Amino acid sequence: MAVPVSQMYTVTKYVLTQKLRGVKRYPLVLMLEPLFRCNLACAGCGKIQYPDHVLDKRLTPEQCWAASDECGAPIISIPGGEPLIHPEMPEIVRGLVARQKYVYLCTNAILLERKLDEYQASKFLTFSVHMDGLKDEHDLAVCRDGVYDVAVKAIKAALKRGHRVTTNTTLFDDANPERVRKFFDEMMALGVEGMMISPGYSYQKAPDQQHFLKRSRTTELFSKILSNRKRGWQFNQSPLFLEFLMGRREYQCTPWGNPTYNVFGWQRPCYLLQEGYVASFRELMEKTDWDSYGTGRNEKCADCMVHCGYEASAVEDTFGSLSGFAKTVKITLLPNVR
Amino acid sequence: MTDAKYHAPEQGSLEGKVFRPASLDELREAIELAFDYRGDITVELKSGGQVTGYLFNRTATGEQPTIELFPAISSGTMTIPFSEVAAVAFTGEDTATGKSWEAWVAKKDSERRREVDRVEADAKARGHL
Repeated sequence: MAVPVSQMYTVTKYVLTQKLRGVKRYPLVLMLEPLFRCNLACAGCGKIQYPDHVLDKRLTPEQCWAASDECGAPIISIPGGEPLIHPEMPEIVRGLVARQKYVYLCTNAILLERKLDEYQASKFLTFSVHMDGLKDEHDLAVCRDGVYDVAVKAIKAALKRGHRVTTNTTLFDDANPERVRKFFDEMMALGVEGMMISPGYSYQKAPDQQHFLKRSRTTELFSKILSNRKRGWQFNQSPLFLEFLMGRREYQCTPWGNPTYNVFGWQRPCYLLQEGYVASFRELMEKTDWDSYGTGRNEKCADCMVHCGYEASAVEDTFGSLSGFAKTVKITLLPNVR
Repeated sequence: MTDAKYHAPEQGSLEGKVFRPASLDELREAIELAFDYRGDITVELKSGGQVTGYLFNRTATGEQPTIELFPAISSGTMTIPFSEVAAVAFTGEDTATGKSWEAWVAKKDSERRREVDRVEADAKARGHL
């Protein structure tokens, strides 16, 4: 089981409640970015490219809790920057856990082992460790030798203390399917609860033909990786989202499923596209032209198959119809049967 | 969540350029460029003053379109109406230029090593390592 039953129950109850209330657009995961500063400078990272005085800005614990209360999503993902740099992060997490939010604290794990004493193990807290593959691939991706080994050591230490630990991995065109499968074996052998995978998103504007080929390459890559998957692999994601990545299902983007709040405000429309910011979650939901985003609607979105847009679509599919629910159950129990 | 690698094509940077718009449309265009720019800009005001900071938002529609900045030398934010902007200068370092994944891969090993060492030293100096 990739996630505890209590978490599945909470999310299921939340989604069904929204549906019974007739709420058309509801957030599943709040992406809370309390700072952009990082202790790595991965080549091409779009999140850390700001002047120093912006990188030095941080959300206060009160701002983080207010965003959580305002948004109401049952799950809070805390990316960054590197959240463990934030001096008040333990306090922020304690406040969110007290609100019974399931917190995924995303980290490159460089500081994790050193900071573990500051966090209490809880079913509400998961360290989501950024791992872009086996040692060679990961160290190249983060542009520093030795980070893979540091992360593995930190994962072991966190697990030993009873923390929930998952990994999150971004894959690009150059990924080697066999190496990725070996990487999955290694992560599961470490004892992580589950793995999260997503294709990298190119912002590059390109003619339509190239967009089409790009998506085809993505589904081809994920088909090679996820076909005949091993029984021991646990993914901390909707089974239908994995089917989508393999090209077996078509979804339109659900950009309001993962709203983002950071030092600039509520980001419009999603985690990856910066079209502007608004001051309140309500304004984000009510005044964003959501129909302008997604594949086929906006050239910036043409190639995107990222979890922050499509995981919520998969969840909607699961709970939107009996056939979607039945398919989810079937894939969960028998992932290799079509 | 993992951030995506920024695969944008390497293009000429706006760093050092100054836009002195002659119409509202030109002003809107300059402000859109400033919104996408990953460095500080300097806004020359019609009143004669100037403000340097990071332009993080703009509201281009409505009765009084505005821009919002994080000033470089003070905390808080500053909102400036479009109607008060005389010029937009891209004065700060473009923090995105040359930082694409493709640019990283294309660098010589020695260049990459120097960059890694510099980033590591900076993180250590800040107590982040």
